[in-house]
Amino acid sequence: MGENVVFAVLWVVFSVLGEIGDRVIIRHNPMYYIVSNQGQLALQAFNFLLVVLTPVFVFVVLFLVFTMVRFTTKRGEMPPANKRFAIDNKAFVLVWVGGSIALNLLFFLHPTTSAMEQMFALDQPAANTHDLVVDVTARQWQWIFSYPQYGLTQTLTPNGQNLLELPVNVPVKFVLRSYDPYHTYDQYADVIHSFWVPAFGIKEDVIPGETRYEYLTPTAITSYAVNPMVRVQCAEVCGPGHPWMESPLAVVSDQQFAQWVKAQKALANG
Amino acid sequence: MAHAMTVPESGHAPRPRKAPMPPVLRAFLWAAIGFLLLNTFVIAVDPFRGHPFVTGPSVVFGWVGAAIGWLLGIGLYDAVLLPLMGFPTRWQERQQGWRRYWEFATDHKVIGLQYMMFAVGGFLIAGGIAMLMRYELMTPYLTIFHYPSNYLTAVGIHGTLMMFSFATVFMIGGLGNYFVPLMIGARETVLSKLSGIGVWLVPVGILTVLFSPLLGEWSTGWRGYEPLAGQDANGILFYYLGVLALTMSSLIVALNLVATVMFRRAPGLTWGRLPLFVWGQVTVNLLMLIWFPEIQTTFVMALLDKVVPLNFFTATGSPLTYLMLFWLFGHPEVYIIAVPAFAIWNEIIPVMAQKSLFGRQWAVIGLVFVMMLSGLVWAHHMFTNLRNSEILPFSFFTEMISIPTGFAYMSAIGTLWKSKVRLNTPMLWILMSMFNFLIGGLTGVFLADPIVNLQLHDTFWVVGHFHYTIIGSMVFSGFGAIYYWLPKLSGRTFNETWGKTLAIITFLAFNLTFSQFFLLGLHGMNRWVPAYPAYLQPMNFEVSIFAFILGAAFLGNILYIGYCWRNGAQAGENPWGAKTPEWFTSSPAPRYNFPVQPEIVGSLYLYGEGTKVPVVTTALGELAATSRATQDPQFDWHDYAPDGGGVTS
Amino acid sequence: MEYESPKDEKTPNTENSEENQWSRRQFLVGTAAIGVAGAVTLFGRQSLVNAARSVFGSPVSSGTVHLYAYDYYYIPNYMTWRVGDRMEVIFQNQSHTHWHEWTMGRHVNEAYFQAFGNLPADAWQEDFWDGVPVTLSDPYGIDNFVPNQAIVTYVGPKAAYNIQSGGDFSPTLKPGGSLHLSFTVPNKPGLWDFGCFVQQYIHYRTGMRGQVMILPA
Repeated sequence: MGENVVFAVLWVVFSVLGEIGDRVIIRHNPMYYIVSNQGQLALQAFNFLLVVLTPVFVFVVLFLVFTMVRFTTKRGEMPPANKRFAIDNKAFVLVWVGGSIALNLLFFLHPTTSAMEQMFALDQPAANTHDLVVDVTARQWQWIFSYPQYGLTQTLTPNGQNLLELPVNVPVKFVLRSYDPYHTYDQYADVIHSFWVPAFGIKEDVIPGETRYEYLTPTAITSYAVNPMVRVQCAEVCGPGHPWMESPLAVVSDQQFAQWVKAQKALANG
Repeated sequence: MAHAMTVPESGHAPRPRKAPMPPVLRAFLWAAIGFLLLNTFVIAVDPFRGHPFVTGPSVVFGWVGAAIGWLLGIGLYDAVLLPLMGFPTRWQERQQGWRRYWEFATDHKVIGLQYMMFAVGGFLIAGGIAMLMRYELMTPYLTIFHYPSNYLTAVGIHGTLMMFSFATVFMIGGLGNYFVPLMIGARETVLSKLSGIGVWLVPVGILTVLFSPLLGEWSTGWRGYEPLAGQDANGILFYYLGVLALTMSSLIVALNLVATVMFRRAPGLTWGRLPLFVWGQVTVNLLMLIWFPEIQTTFVMALLDKVVPLNFFTATGSPLTYLMLFWLFGHPEVYIIAVPAFAIWNEIIPVMAQKSLFGRQWAVIGLVFVMMLSGLVWAHHMFTNLRNSEILPFSFFTEMISIPTGFAYMSAIGTLWKSKVRLNTPMLWILMSMFNFLIGGLTGVFLADPIVNLQLHDTFWVVGHFHYTIIGSMVFSGFGAIYYWLPKLSGRTFNETWGKTLAIITFLAFNLTFSQFFLLGLHGMNRWVPAYPAYLQPMNFEVSIFAFILGAAFLGNILYIGYCWRNGAQAGENPWGAKTPEWFTSSPAPRYNFPVQPEIVGSLYLYGEGTKVPVVTTALGELAATSRATQDPQFDWHDYAPDGGGVTS
Repeated sequence: MEYESPKDEKTPNTENSEENQWSRRQFLVGTAAIGVAGAVTLFGRQSLVNAARSVFGSPVSSGTVHLYAYDYYYIPNYMTWRVGDRMEVIFQNQSHTHWHEWTMGRHVNEAYFQAFGNLPADAWQEDFWDGVPVTLSDPYGIDNFVPNQAIVTYVGPKAAYNIQSGGDFSPTLKPGGSLHLSFTVPNKPGLWDFGCFVQQYIHYRTGMRGQVMILPA
């Protein structure tokens, strides 16, 4: 009995310490920098899993350490052979199997299903009546952004890079396509890319021959200069240009966005 | 000139002949001839603009010629074809000496060591490439790799060789071939000649993948995603062909081992008494028999997409179909690697603790259910491109697969609880493997959750996760198994201080390297990039330093094991006091394993008061061994046993 | 299954007889030689070629020369021309999927070639074709053609060349396309670079480049 009690006490103690550690991690944001509603969902799910898995982690690690400290023979000694050993313990098996089933069912309900339902709800047409629509075209090895509602076909920085700029707190509908608008003799010639803004907490693959949608709302004014996780990055290997298939991104206020649209229009016309 | 000697000479008159060419060199020569013949033929009938000597189609046929030439040269011609056609042959199986490892063999122990030898070769090559990759990632811009395509090719070769020539080969082709027949008390495998040929496909595969840059850089990594693969230079062809050779070799192993376990078990070795390691091998062999033909078919389709070209997997066809087909194989592949490791934990722990295995049936059920569920989870590699409606079912099965995986832990924990275990080198590796797989498994729970996956997919979190599961569980268990069985393999043992020191260094270096991958992934480090934003450099730099230490530690372990193999202290016949049949014969085992046929009369995993030695020699075995088996290697006692030898139980 | 042990021998110990042993030395030397040859073909080709070129020089090409574009490299990637020679370069795109161009000049700022770097507005600081008379013919599968400052004569209807403006002298070919360029090597001796800058210079960044050494007349 002694070992059972010692182990249980240690498990509780270290689990509590682990949970305290989790609070610290969560306060410092384990995903470093998240500025979208979609990313918040991911972050919450991540934190939940972290909190629930900590006792599991502590249990096994403590057991391994416990084995090395308490359950070993001295070097060169043989284990005793004159004992009878249990090969079954229904209570332990029941708790283990039942516990792992319960834990996995819990994870499937929350955060898996609950978070996905929230994400699917964000994707509902009813929730997206006043979206900013951004057509994102991925081609090897470039992101091209156009804003059909504003008649902008390709938005650029002053030195000619493609630029994604979004107003803060406005739902955005990204329309994701992979093809080359400049070389239309084979519009199916492009490859799979993945549209990823690390700070938005989501990536969606862009597949030639298909159109995909992604919905999210940026929640803070920020830019690549503020935090390098605010960047558009291709996350699926797409050939030798893959590491350079990126693009700066700025989330700005409504007024700044309006000015920017005006400037881009002037640039396109002049 | 040397080539001429291999032509069969007419007549039986023995006369002095020059020594034959070393089979490996002859195989190279015949491979070169095979390549030239078919390549030239294809170039002649299908020339390309500019008349290059090697084109995509020509190199495919040329490779087939080379592979056939290689196999013929290594022994298929002398040892199989000539006797099959009724011609006299000079081939005789060598019974001793180092030369038998460098030619065709039918002894499963020689074949097993050949597999291990080639697998370690693949591991060292791919590991060396990993060191280059880590060197490149110390800086956010290109250094030793001049162009991203070089780096991506290196990533692809690293992954492909590690997966197909090491991870699936070492535990199954190597340890499986060597120990499964010994552990079931068999004298031979069923398909020993096929197995002896199959092992020589491993060097074919390794060399093919390694030399793929000769045909041009390929950028897809080990997964060969379409339609990118179809746009890559011809190097991708050698990826398909190399993997074809390697999977074919593993498929032969699976076929042979399953047949051997079904038909060659010792009397009394019922399925209920089958050693756990053998259960692990049988389950993964079944996985291989199911999924390897599937990936081979897929790769043939992708190859045709590239060389014809067809449009199976381009956007005209369906790129997602390739992804589906790849992961349909790809996820079972992960368990093909991991399941033998789980089996080894519960093989070694009861022995080292001299304590009965806890919940043996649960350990077996865990292996079998992991095997079955592994075919239902593939699309969790595709949450970022799956239709929304398909995400939740795959997430469900992915989360559920952790339940049978947990059974391996349950048995191990139940066995170790209140035990007095010998904390020696093999045991230390096993405990480390359990720790590493715990990290790999728990980080996998995050990835199984789709909303988190959408952020972490294709980042270094994933890279950390699968290196924990594969290196952490499989490689660490593999080292544990090798230290455990070293006395069996070589008759020699190792020094505990050295063994433990090396294990601890490896463990620390491994964890310091790969634990930081999770942080890098969370911080926005994506995969397949030799150039990355500068804010990620400090941690990458540090990771690389630990990675170099890890590489050195692996090398140190391999060298130390090699040293002990030759120069270690003599080990006893059964130094750990194990009960499984492989320890009931001399070390290393003789050609036909057991001088007398062992019979299994009790559980192999019960220890302590009142238990008996489960492996005994029967009169039937005595009779069989003395009368026939020493004379006739094809002897199979099943043919003579009155009740079929207890195969049906 | 067949078992091939001769019936008159009790134990198959013939491996000890010297006639049946293959040579250990032959084995070691042979595999080592194959290994070295393999390593050289994998890693040492360019160094070997450079060494050979510095020792023996490079043959001067004149008359009709083929220049093939692959993904993402040229064959040949080194040529020697002589001032005043009459050349016809048949430029051909061997790729099945990508368009490729041929530009030639000097000095490109590679400091830009990193993550989030700026893109150079124009690739070569000095365009080789500036002021050079060149005749284009046999256009097939032309993506576009930028004449820049070259003095171009077009054979056949101009529409086939899809003439554009902006950037260096650059014929760009669709997959499978080809073009003949006829010219007299101008008096611009020295070492010139050529490369393919399409797709944001990534073809060039990933190694699609070469050199032309122009010898004085």
